[in-house]
Amino acid sequence: MAPAPGDDGVTADVTGGTVPTDEIIRGTDVVKEYETGGQTVRALKGVDFGIAPADFVAVVGPSGSGKSTLLNLLGLLDVATSGDVRLRGEDVSTFTDREQTRKRKETIGFVFQSFYLIPTLTALENVEMPRMLDRTPTQTRERATQLLERVGLGDRLDHYPDELSGGQKQRVAIARSLINDPDILLADEPTGNLDRDTGDRILELFDELRTDENVAVVTVTHDDYVAEAADRVVTLIDGRVRETEDRRANFEEGPDT
Amino acid sequence: MSWLRAITGRFPSIVIARRNVSRARTRSLLAAAAIMIGVVAIGAIGAGGAAFKQSQLDRVQEQGATNVYVSPGLDREERHFDRTDLMQIDETVGGATIVATESRSMEYRIRFEQQRDVSATYLDDPRRLYEVAAGEIPKNWRRSAVVSNEFALRHGIEPGDRIMLAPEPDEGEDAVFSPYRVTAVLAETQAFGADEVYLPIEATGDRQYSQVRITTQSVGEAEAAARALREEFNGRKDTLIVFELTSLVRLFKSIVNGINVFLAGLGSLSLLVAGVSIANTMLMSVTKRREEIGVLRAVGYSKADILRILLVEAALLGAIGAGIGIVLALLVVLAANAIFLGDPLAFTSESLLYLVGAVVFGIGTSLVAGAYPAWRAANERPVEALRG
Repeated sequence: MAPAPGDDGVTADVTGGTVPTDEIIRGTDVVKEYETGGQTVRALKGVDFGIAPADFVAVVGPSGSGKSTLLNLLGLLDVATSGDVRLRGEDVSTFTDREQTRKRKETIGFVFQSFYLIPTLTALENVEMPRMLDRTPTQTRERATQLLERVGLGDRLDHYPDELSGGQKQRVAIARSLINDPDILLADEPTGNLDRDTGDRILELFDELRTDENVAVVTVTHDDYVAEAADRVVTLIDGRVRETEDRRANFEEGPDT
Repeated sequence: MSWLRAITGRFPSIVIARRNVSRARTRSLLAAAAIMIGVVAIGAIGAGGAAFKQSQLDRVQEQGATNVYVSPGLDREERHFDRTDLMQIDETVGGATIVATESRSMEYRIRFEQQRDVSATYLDDPRRLYEVAAGEIPKNWRRSAVVSNEFALRHGIEPGDRIMLAPEPDEGEDAVFSPYRVTAVLAETQAFGADEVYLPIEATGDRQYSQVRITTQSVGEAEAAARALREEFNGRKDTLIVFELTSLVRLFKSIVNGINVFLAGLGSLSLLVAGVSIANTMLMSVTKRREEIGVLRAVGYSKADILRILLVEAALLGAIGAGIGIVLALLVVLAANAIFLGDPLAFTSESLLYLVGAVVFGIGTSLVAGAYPAWRAANERPVEALRG
């Protein structure tokens, strides 16, 4: 059922047979159904995807097309109803809740449209937050300081979220997403609440992170200009991949369509 | 990196919980106040009641709860004890002091043609039972009498005075009065069963005793002595009537304990209300922080981590309330100790137990009350929480 990378005929065709073997996460014929009010909603109707290090993938599509569902599956926040999702070759459906949480912590960084910073914590503490329970306060503080400097907020360490601008908050959130050295950064409308200039700076930051830290970035967006910045754009419509434009497409429709 | 941070870094859940508690300060304080009231109620009622009980027990002890009284049993042929019986009793009770007495009713002539009944006790030496306040008791006090403080006050008697006493006459006969010289007046006593007039045992003429008093150092020893006597003498026949106040003490203890537990139970009702308040506060708090908890789950906090953080938070609310509550309860108990026991620091082990118990119950209630909100928050799927 689970093809080795590159085995999938469709994938090979579209990508010109150059599926990288160091993929972080790969999904094949992924279906996700929800129960809402007694009705079963098929949010994803058989989608294939693969994310390799330093990828920058933009997922676009109308609302209700399954973008968020896809992001949740990539973020190990949710499990596919059917199909095969593998994280570095491991079938994620076999993970217990605890394993899933641990893998999520090790592999994934999240950036949200509304930042979700904790208002009672300073910028520095917000960045430390994912590692607060690790009982390594010294290393965590060093790393968090370094990351805030990295995103250009070295002078805002002790500011509380309501003392920061939207762009600064999002940069704090990005620093937080990087504290555990993730392989993939999942960004849900990361520029949705920001003006164009601030958004540009966030996109520049993503580029730097890809180059310097080899982090893959997957973003769900409505903004065309974010999509333009990505190396790949995946358009989801009604739970299926409709078009993919780029040099190395790892997203496309499943074989059942 | 300050040392403070080095320490708090070891207990991150507490740091996080403290931050969250101080976030909705008024709400947290109200919830803690509810716990505080419960802790004060249990601590003050329980420990104050314990002080009251102790004071009453001390009093009972003063009144002779350390004594055992023995009189001839129903199955005994003679209605009195003789020297042999006394020696047997003495042997049975071991180290305790025994005083044998003979009680009789007598007529006391106040003045000519006016007399009243008095109870007289014949014994070897009144000093073995009571303290002497005035006068002296000579070794051989034949024809002398010792009177109680109350009797002396009532009839204006001082040592050296003469009183006229007569054995209670049979029906139709006149009382035959003889003079006795009062050699001593006893000190005032709280003791149970103290008589008015004490006469030398020789005056009975036959050295027979109707009662033996066994004096021990504690209620426990008195109980042991009574048990030993019953085992020794009351096997198949009831040759002794053994009477001890310890059974009354036991009854009193169980009554006061019952009342105390009942009142402390009422106090714990207020803790129940406090628990509802904590549960409500925590539910509001986790509902408000739904997204935040979703983010925590997303960035790698496990269900157990969330559960722990929220339980620590509930416990912290309880600890704040219990902390303030125990200080107030201590003040009340200090006052109760001062009133009942005469020393504010005279804590009985029971009152300490109530105080510790109040704190434990206070924090325990908070934990139990926080369990459901914490469980609910921990089990919410992050996907749902982050959907907004």
